[in-house]
Amino acid sequence: MKKLALLLCLIAAPLAAQEEFSEGSEAKSWNLYAEYPARFDAQVVDILCLLTKDCPDNCGDGKRQLGLLRTADDALVFPNKNSQAAFTGAAIELLPYCGKMVEVDGLLIDDPDLGAKNIYLVQKIRNAGDTDWVKANTWTKDWAKKHPEAKGKGPWFRRDPRVNAAIAEAGYLGLGAETDETFIKEWFQ
Amino acid sequence: MSNILRATALTLAAVSGTTSAASEGERVQVTGEIIDTWCYFSGVMGGPDAVVGSAHHTCALWCSAGGIPVGLLGDDGQVYMVLKIEDDDGSASGDTQLMLASHEVTADGTLYERDGINYIVVSQIVTDNGITNLNHDDYGPVPGFAIPKPKKN
Repeated sequence: MKKLALLLCLIAAPLAAQEEFSEGSEAKSWNLYAEYPARFDAQVVDILCLLTKDCPDNCGDGKRQLGLLRTADDALVFPNKNSQAAFTGAAIELLPYCGKMVEVDGLLIDDPDLGAKNIYLVQKIRNAGDTDWVKANTWTKDWAKKHPEAKGKGPWFRRDPRVNAAIAEAGYLGLGAETDETFIKEWFQ
Repeated sequence: MSNILRATALTLAAVSGTTSAASEGERVQVTGEIIDTWCYFSGVMGGPDAVVGSAHHTCALWCSAGGIPVGLLGDDGQVYMVLKIEDDDGSASGDTQLMLASHEVTADGTLYERDGINYIVVSQIVTDNGITNLNHDDYGPVPGFAIPKPKKN
C-alpha cells in the first residue's frame, strides 16, 4: 500500500507542478516537445555559490550561470535560455536581479527521456511586486556593446571573434580544414 | 501552492530524506562529450543523436559563446551541467568551455545533485581526446545553415 501511494505521488508530482505553474502564464510557445508554460516567484541565485559556497560579488558579474530558487517548493530551476532565437543564454538577463526576489514567465522543459527537469526558457522578468515586465531579450545588445570591433551585417554568431577564431583554427566540423573542405564539397554539390 | 503539490513535495521529502539545504558534493570521474545543453534538452534542432558531435560542432560553439549552459554528456547517458572547469568559473560564455566544445573528455570533479539536475565542478580535465563523435556524414550540419553554402565562382 505504501509503495502504491509513493508511485501515485511520483506520477502526480510533475502533473501537479505543470498545473500549478502554468496558471496565469502568458508565455509564448516555442512548439517544443516537452515544454509547458510556467510563471512563478523565485530568488535569483548564483548556482555555483549556492552549491559550493564559492560566492563572488554580484553573482560573478555575468560570468556564471544563474538559477531561480522557486518560492513555492524551493526547487532550483536552471534557466538555460533567454527569449531570443539567437543561440543565447539567460545569465545576462537575470544578472540585474542577482539575489533579488522576482517573478518570471517562460517555458519549463520536462523530458524524463533526456533527463531534462527544471530546465527553463525565461521570456520575461519583473521584480517582486512590480507591475511592469522586462523582456529577457537583451543578450545581443550586451554582446554588441562588448564587441564594437565586430560591428557589421548579419547575426552576432557569424561575427563573434572567438567563434570565428575557433572555426578558422579547426573548421566548422572541428576536425580541421581538410575534413571541412572534403565534406563541404560533397554536401553542397 | 495547491494542496496536492504541497502533499506530494512533503511525501517525497520524507521518503528521500532531502531538504532544501545544499547537498554535499561527491567526488566523481566522468567521461563523455562537452555538449550544448539547450539544443539537447529542448530538441529544438532535432533528436539527441543529431545535436552532438561534429555535425553540431558549429552550433555548440555558438551556444557556448552565447552563454547557454554547457554540459558533459556522460557515457552513462546522464547530463552533468558544468559550473566550473579547473580555475575557470566562466560557465556562461567562458573561454575554457568554448575551447572544449564537442570534445570527448574525462573529467575529475565534484558532483552535486539538486532537484533532478546533475551539476559538476570539474577540478581537472584528465584527458581531452578532441572530437570523436564523427556524425556529420549521418546528419549533415545541424542546423543546416551552420556551414554557409559556398559561393559559386
